[in-house]
Amino acid sequence: MAGSALRRLMAEYKQLTLNPPEGIIAGPINEENFFEWEALITGPEGTCFEGGIFTAKLIFPPDYPLSPPKMQFTCEMFHPNIYADGRVCISILHAPGDDPMGYESSAERWSPVQSVEKILLSVVSMLAEPNDESGANVDAAKMWREDRSEFERIAQKLVRKTLGIP
Amino acid sequence: MPMEFLDRLPVPNLRLYTTISFAILSCSIYYATQIIKDPAWRTNHTHIDAITRDEINPTDPRSLGMHFKELLECMVDEPVCIWTLINMAYCVLILLGKSIQKLVFGELRVSERQHLKDKFWNFVFYKFIFVFGVLNVQYMDEVVLWWAWFTALGFLSLLSQLCKDRFEYLSFSPTTPGWSHARLLGLLAAILALSSFMLLLCTAAVFFFISFNTFAFMAAECILLGVRTIHVMLRYVIHLYDTRGAGTSAQRSWDKRGPLTYYTDLISELIVLAVDFLHHCHMLLWSNIFLSMASLVICMQLRYLFYEIQRRITKHRNYLAVLNHMEQNYPMASQDELAENSDNCAICWEKMESARKLPCAHLFHNSCLQSWLEQDTSCPTCRLALSMQANHRENTPEIPPEPQTPTRRNGNHFFLFLDGSRYVSWLPSFSVEVSHNRLRGNISTLAHTNSQMDAMARQVQQLFPHYPRNVILEDLRMTRSIEWTIENILDGVLTIPHHVIEEPQAESVPQTQMSMTNIMPSSSVQNSSDPRFDIPFADR
Repeated sequence: MAGSALRRLMAEYKQLTLNPPEGIIAGPINEENFFEWEALITGPEGTCFEGGIFTAKLIFPPDYPLSPPKMQFTCEMFHPNIYADGRVCISILHAPGDDPMGYESSAERWSPVQSVEKILLSVVSMLAEPNDESGANVDAAKMWREDRSEFERIAQKLVRKTLGIP
Repeated sequence: MPMEFLDRLPVPNLRLYTTISFAILSCSIYYATQIIKDPAWRTNHTHIDAITRDEINPTDPRSLGMHFKELLECMVDEPVCIWTLINMAYCVLILLGKSIQKLVFGELRVSERQHLKDKFWNFVFYKFIFVFGVLNVQYMDEVVLWWAWFTALGFLSLLSQLCKDRFEYLSFSPTTPGWSHARLLGLLAAILALSSFMLLLCTAAVFFFISFNTFAFMAAECILLGVRTIHVMLRYVIHLYDTRGAGTSAQRSWDKRGPLTYYTDLISELIVLAVDFLHHCHMLLWSNIFLSMASLVICMQLRYLFYEIQRRITKHRNYLAVLNHMEQNYPMASQDELAENSDNCAICWEKMESARKLPCAHLFHNSCLQSWLEQDTSCPTCRLALSMQANHRENTPEIPPEPQTPTRRNGNHFFLFLDGSRYVSWLPSFSVEVSHNRLRGNISTLAHTNSQMDAMARQVQQLFPHYPRNVILEDLRMTRSIEWTIENILDGVLTIPHHVIEEPQAESVPQTQMSMTNIMPSSSVQNSSDPRFDIPFADR
C-alpha cells in the first residue's frame, strides 16, 4: 500500500509548505525517501522551552495513515513525555490496539484523520504542558512535579544547546 | 552465531579472488596441456574416445578445436582440474552478479545487504540438508550436479529477493527516474524467463534420466521462484500504473486498485505457501528419513508453513467479513451527499467520486474505509464505535469464560492479526473485559509455567525497576518473551498506571520498595487498590 501512503505524504508535505503552522517546519529529509521526515519545532512561548529549536525525525510505516508514524527527537531533550533516546510518548502516536491497560481512551489515539501537522502541534502543546501521568522519563516527571525550578534550569540549558550557545 | 563468525573470517576481496582464480585456472590448463602432450596419457585414457581416437590420429597436425576438446576432456578427468573449473565458474558467477548489481541496483542499502546475507545462508543451509539429508547423495558427480543446479537457483532467487526489496524502497519515492524502474522490471523478466527455462529443463530431463521424484523436487523450486517473481512484477505494474499511468484518472483507478492488490497478494502468497508446503511434505515422505536431524528441520519448516497458511486464511476471512459488513450496513453515498460534502476522503486526502457513508454521516472511500475497518472498528473522524457483528456481545459484557487454547487466546478480539502487530477491541471501555477473559482462560494453561514467568518478570524488572511487576507479568503472559516485553516497555506500549508510580515515590524509598516486590510472591500484589490488577490472580 505504499502507493497511497506516498500520495498522502506528498499531499501533507505540499500543505505544510504552502500553509505552514507557526513555529513548525517539516519535510522529507531526502526527496528519494518520503517515509523519513525531519521536523524543526520551536519551543512554545511562555514556557521553559521558549526560544529553543528542537529537531526531530519522523518515520512513517508503509501503511500510513492506517498506522501512526514514529517520532524521535534528534536533539537532547529532558521532558516527562520524551524517552531518554528522544522517542516521543504521546497518545496520538499510539495505534488504537496498543494499550493493554485501557489507560488511554481510544479517542486520544491514532486515527487516519490525524496528520503530521496535528502530531507536531500536539508535540508543541506537550512541550508546554507535560503530562506527568505517563512517565516516559520518570526522572523528568518527578522533577517536574517536585522541583520545578531545577526542571526549568535544565530546560533552559537544553534550549541554549539547541541554539549552539554554550 | 555462525554468521557473525563468518563475518569475521578474512574473506579475500573480489579482485584478489578473481586474480587467484584466473592464476589457478591457467596453471591447471598448463598442467593439462603438459599431460596431453604425453602420448602415454592417450593410452591411459579411458574408453570415452575409443572411437574418436582413431579419427584423430591420422590428422596429426590437429586442429585447434580438436586440441581444445582434448584439453577439456583431460581437465574433466583430472580431479585437480575439475575443481579449478568449478572454482572458475563460481568466480564468473560472482562477477556476473556484481555487474548486474552495478548495472541495475547501484549501491545496495544496508537492509538489502542484510536480507541478502540472511537469505543466502538460509538457502545454503536448507539445500545442504536437502542434498545430504533428504536425497542422501552418495556420488561426487551427483553432488556436483545438484550443486550446480542449486547455485543457479540460489543466484536467481537472491536476485529476485533483491528486486523485491528494491521495489519496496523505490515505491517510497515519487521521483524515481523511469529508467531505474525499467531496469528493475527487465531484470525481473529475465529472472522469470530463466526460471521457466529451468522448469522446462527439468521437465525435459524427466524423460531421459531422472526419476519423477527428482523432477518434483526440482520443479517445485522453479515454480516457487517463478511465482515470487511474478508477484513482484504484478505489484510493480500495479504500483507504476497507480502512480504514473493513472495520474490523470487516479480517482477512477482508485476503487479497483485496493482489491486488485489484495487479491494479487493473497493468491500469490497462497500459491507460494501451498507449493512450499507440498514440497516439504514430499521431502518428508519420500526420503524415508523419519528419525534424523533432517526430518526435524523439515517438520519445523512444515509447522511454520502450516501456521502461515492458517494465518493468511484467517486474515482473508476477516477481510471478507469486513467487506460483507460494509456492504450490508454502510450504503454508498448518493451524488447529492457527495456534492454537499465536497471534502476529500479523510484517510487518503484524495477527492471522492464515490464513497461509503457511516452511520455518523462521515464519508470515506470504499477501499480506505475497508483497510481501516480491518484493524479498527470506530469512525476515523468522530470515533463512533461501529458494532461489527458484535451486537449481542455488547449487551452482555460479562462473557462466560470459554475454554480457550493458547493459540486462540485472543479470540475475543474480533479483528486479530496473528502477527501480533495490532489487534482491536471494538469498544474502548471493553478492553478491560477482554483482557480479563483472556487471562482467566489462560490461567490454567499457564499455571505450571508461573515460576518461569516469575523468573522472566524478575529479569525484566531488573532492567526497569520502576515498572510494577504485575504489569510486566501481564505483558509477559501475552508476549511470552523477555525481549518482546522489553521492546514493549521501550516502545511505551506498556504504560505504568500512574498511581502505581506514585506510590513508591511518595514513600521516597523507591529502591528498597522495588527490591521487595522482586522477591514477593506475585499473589501479594493483590492488595493493589485498582481492581484491574486483581484480574490475573482472581482465580487463585
